[in-house]
Amino acid sequence: MLVGIPLEQSKSTIKPKECAVEMSDYLVEVAQTRSKIAFSKIFNYFAPRLRSYALKQMGNEALAMELVQDTMSNVWQKAHLFNAEKGSPSTWIFTIARNIRFDMLRKLQNRKEDVCSDDLWPVLCEQTADLNEAPLDEQVTLEQIGYLFESLPVKQKAVIEAIYIDGKSQQEVADELVIPLGTVKSRTRLALQRLKGMLQTND
Amino acid sequence: MIRFHPSAQQLVSFVDGNLSPAVSLMVSAHCDMCSTCQRFVEQETERLAGSLLEGSLSEGFLLEENGSKSADFNPDYSTMIAQITQTPSSLEADSGFKLHATSDKNKFSSSNTVPVVNTIANNSRESAIELDGKVFTLPRTLQRYIEKTGSWSSLVGKLWQAPVDLGSQGVANFIYMGKGGSVPEHTHRGTEYTLVLNGEFSDGLNSYDSGDFIFMDGQNTHTPRSDHSQGCLVFTIVDQPLHFTSGIARLLNPFSHLFFR
Repeated sequence: MLVGIPLEQSKSTIKPKECAVEMSDYLVEVAQTRSKIAFSKIFNYFAPRLRSYALKQMGNEALAMELVQDTMSNVWQKAHLFNAEKGSPSTWIFTIARNIRFDMLRKLQNRKEDVCSDDLWPVLCEQTADLNEAPLDEQVTLEQIGYLFESLPVKQKAVIEAIYIDGKSQQEVADELVIPLGTVKSRTRLALQRLKGMLQTND
Repeated sequence: MIRFHPSAQQLVSFVDGNLSPAVSLMVSAHCDMCSTCQRFVEQETERLAGSLLEGSLSEGFLLEENGSKSADFNPDYSTMIAQITQTPSSLEADSGFKLHATSDKNKFSSSNTVPVVNTIANNSRESAIELDGKVFTLPRTLQRYIEKTGSWSSLVGKLWQAPVDLGSQGVANFIYMGKGGSVPEHTHRGTEYTLVLNGEFSDGLNSYDSGDFIFMDGQNTHTPRSDHSQGCLVFTIVDQPLHFTSGIARLLNPFSHLFFR
């Protein structure tokens, strides 16, 4: 039978907001000093909650504990990837747990699809920053680039066109235009700088 | 402009991790292209994480039965903590990783331009697929599958397809319709998901643009066709071969697992 009587009221008095700040600080501490005490605080808060989630999802104590252990191991080993600006500790930790569960279930169900959680939700990739690029519909369109490209000085345009559109090497371009390789390089650099400047002012 | 999105239910299931791997892949790739759905997924992730991990342990966190004796359930957490904290951080484990990688914001002002050019060239090689001189940059989620993509083969008319090996379940393909190319009229036996990656096509029922996410489970018979000057590239997953319904196109049925919805 279900006994719905609060047992741990003392633990439930922490407000989510304050808790997020507190846990966030502990995560930073783990990342910077490998503090076992800070990790224990994170663990004591999240492990029972993760276990409850895991039990519902996996329906089995052993698998649930495996999920808890894998999740918390990742928290310990990859705390440096947590970024408080991108989300709360619980969102980060949930994402890790959800990913592990996704891969566990895939194995349990013997599915052979070669689709792993890292591809779908790259939360633990070392290069997360690169992967967090803007969605394509917010990125610069080819038309925009084309328009800006047209405004480059003729000589720079020729070099950029040969390298980026025709796919030639810098040496090939130098030979073709009968100019020193260094000139090709500096024109490329100047053109890219200019394009970059124009893109920034265009935003 | 993107007009066709996954349903809210599909997005929620995606966040829960309950969509099948192949469909998750489609939804994830759509979110790479669609800021609206990307934001929805972020908010839903936050909401779900909050409700699962920020609640107090006394509300709904107790298990059925023995609620009053939950201490009995308590696994040996202290041993687990001890085990975990003995492992090195992934930074230490991977000594080659640089903790403070320089921001690439200033990459264009680097005095040495050669690596910059190489980086751009390398990136575009890994993030794009090519057909007949046309280069298509793929959404992030699909980029890893470039190396699992077979070569392009010509089908009827102006249709090209390149199979993507996802493993056993479902058949995934990149399909390219050249301008004026069309897929013969067909129905579906199973379900099919199509994501428009580049260009436009229409099927008499609707017009679809880059980023559109199209789901079909076999109610309609249609004839996809692209009149876009650049043609149209899509990524598609079917769990059952299509069935061509008219005339000589029935000859295609042996190959029908290759097609659009």
